[in-house]
Amino acid sequence: MKTVVLGLGNPILCDDGVGPRVARELEGRVDPEKVSVLEAAVGGLALLDLIVGCDRAIIVDAIQTQDGKPGQIYRLAPDALDSTLHVASPHDVNFATALEFGRRLELPLPREIVIFAIEAADVTTFREDCTPQVASAIPVCAAMVLQALDEACAPRTEHR
Amino acid sequence: MASCKATDAVYHVDPPPAGKKLRELFYCNHYIHSHIAHFYALAAPDFVMGPTSDPAQRNVLGVIAKVGLEIGGEVLKHRAYAQSVQASIAGKATHPVGGIPGGMSKPITEEQRKDFEQKAKSCIEFSKFSLKLFNDVVLANKDYLNLITGEIYTMKSYFMGLVDSKNRVNFYDGDIRVVDPDGKEVAKFKPAQYLDYVAEHTEPWSYLKFPFLKKVGWKGFVEGKDSGIYRVSPLARLNVADGMATPLAQAEYEKLYKTLGGKPVHATLVFHWARLIELLYASERALELCQDKEITDPKVRTIPTATPDEGVGVVEAPRGTLFHHYKTDEKGIVTKVNLIVATAHNYPAMQMSIKKAAQGVIKKKQPVTEGLLNMVEMAFRAYDPCSACATHTLPGQMPLEVVIYNSRGDVVERLGQHIQ
Repeated sequence: MKTVVLGLGNPILCDDGVGPRVARELEGRVDPEKVSVLEAAVGGLALLDLIVGCDRAIIVDAIQTQDGKPGQIYRLAPDALDSTLHVASPHDVNFATALEFGRRLELPLPREIVIFAIEAADVTTFREDCTPQVASAIPVCAAMVLQALDEACAPRTEHR
Repeated sequence: MASCKATDAVYHVDPPPAGKKLRELFYCNHYIHSHIAHFYALAAPDFVMGPTSDPAQRNVLGVIAKVGLEIGGEVLKHRAYAQSVQASIAGKATHPVGGIPGGMSKPITEEQRKDFEQKAKSCIEFSKFSLKLFNDVVLANKDYLNLITGEIYTMKSYFMGLVDSKNRVNFYDGDIRVVDPDGKEVAKFKPAQYLDYVAEHTEPWSYLKFPFLKKVGWKGFVEGKDSGIYRVSPLARLNVADGMATPLAQAEYEKLYKTLGGKPVHATLVFHWARLIELLYASERALELCQDKEITDPKVRTIPTATPDEGVGVVEAPRGTLFHHYKTDEKGIVTKVNLIVATAHNYPAMQMSIKKAAQGVIKKKQPVTEGLLNMVEMAFRAYDPCSACATHTLPGQMPLEVVIYNSRGDVVERLGQHIQ
């Protein structure tokens, strides 16, 4: 089974870079024969390019919700995607549309897509690290990704 | 790419020919993926499905259901081709890292060149198909032709774009040319001179400024020759140029102006047609560059030796002219930045286009349907703005508010969708 872990985000935009930072936390901790760990800052159809051909996809991205606390981690299914920051692009379609596009074209899409979204405090300041609360979520999220890699269960929604 | 050219200027360094050609090859592929995504995902649904069709169908999925699933596959394939070429040249397609002051970080191999050449050929064929689709679905439909050339989507303005030494469209390099609403050249300048020609007006209700032509002046949100408002865009580039630099695109350029009665064209929805002509040009130009013997030359960078201070870089972004102006200290640390992006250049015109469309489609005592609100959206979607334009998703979700005032300025009705 081939799995891709995608850390989405801009690494120089503070908490927006939490996705790539979680991906880096996984370095050396996964079997490269079975798991590809990538960093990317794309959405829409471009995201589709990265997951086609894989059996499973785990996506890590920043999120901003109305009542969330910075550093909170949500495990989401693809149908809860509108709120994460990078799965949508203003020059493209959103990820839900891109996924449906791929399904209708009968592309070899992952049979399971899990999204770990980390509540961000600041996604507009140019800096190369995250805010403290979000930074503290990085190893926790990485552990959750590793646990998900071992799982065979269906996606569910849960909060830390 | 504007940043690359600005840093060249800051360091007073000129990349070698192979470095410039490699940048241009990268950039043509950027245009290919961007224009494909915009046309099929954002523009085509309005025309293939109809501007007032059910929003649940008026999206890229509706388009491929109607024109054929195999077309959807071709869309994905050619976007992926272009992005793979970008990533191969510059490390990443989005946020590339290969451009550096003086050129590019590495050359390409013959193996890469052959791969890029095959992809460019395929992109040319797909571009021709896309133009045929536009012709069959839009131009051959009298109602659509009337819609795109109609008054509600027409705005008389100046136009700005980059041209090469023969006044042909060029995305990467050249002089900035401005024509008036009659198509007459009124300015042609080098990037470093931009502040002599462009100024910015501000309004208290917007963070975004309103650029205008300095020599004409800011006269408010009005059209015409006496107003300094100008537009950038695929159509602006075709309007300011005397032609295209590749043969197939040139033929399409001539067809556009013959169909619409000459230059310049002021119809905003024709941005979409011009975008497809540019897709063809980008594909042809990518092939030309792939077949240029110099493209695999290892000398792709000139090492800077001068002390950095200040520089301006200008390119044509897919949406329009892009200015990057940097000032640095003697170590090259940036001390001041000024950017004027395409959406900023177009901001005054966008306001007017939206207003004109709203006034054209919303009539007294007639219900304002979702379809009519979409027709208002179409007026600015053509600009492919870099503001949140999350349209044609499942379902289309564009925050839009229309406020109708009476002659005394009282709010009569407030209509909106997806307003939070």
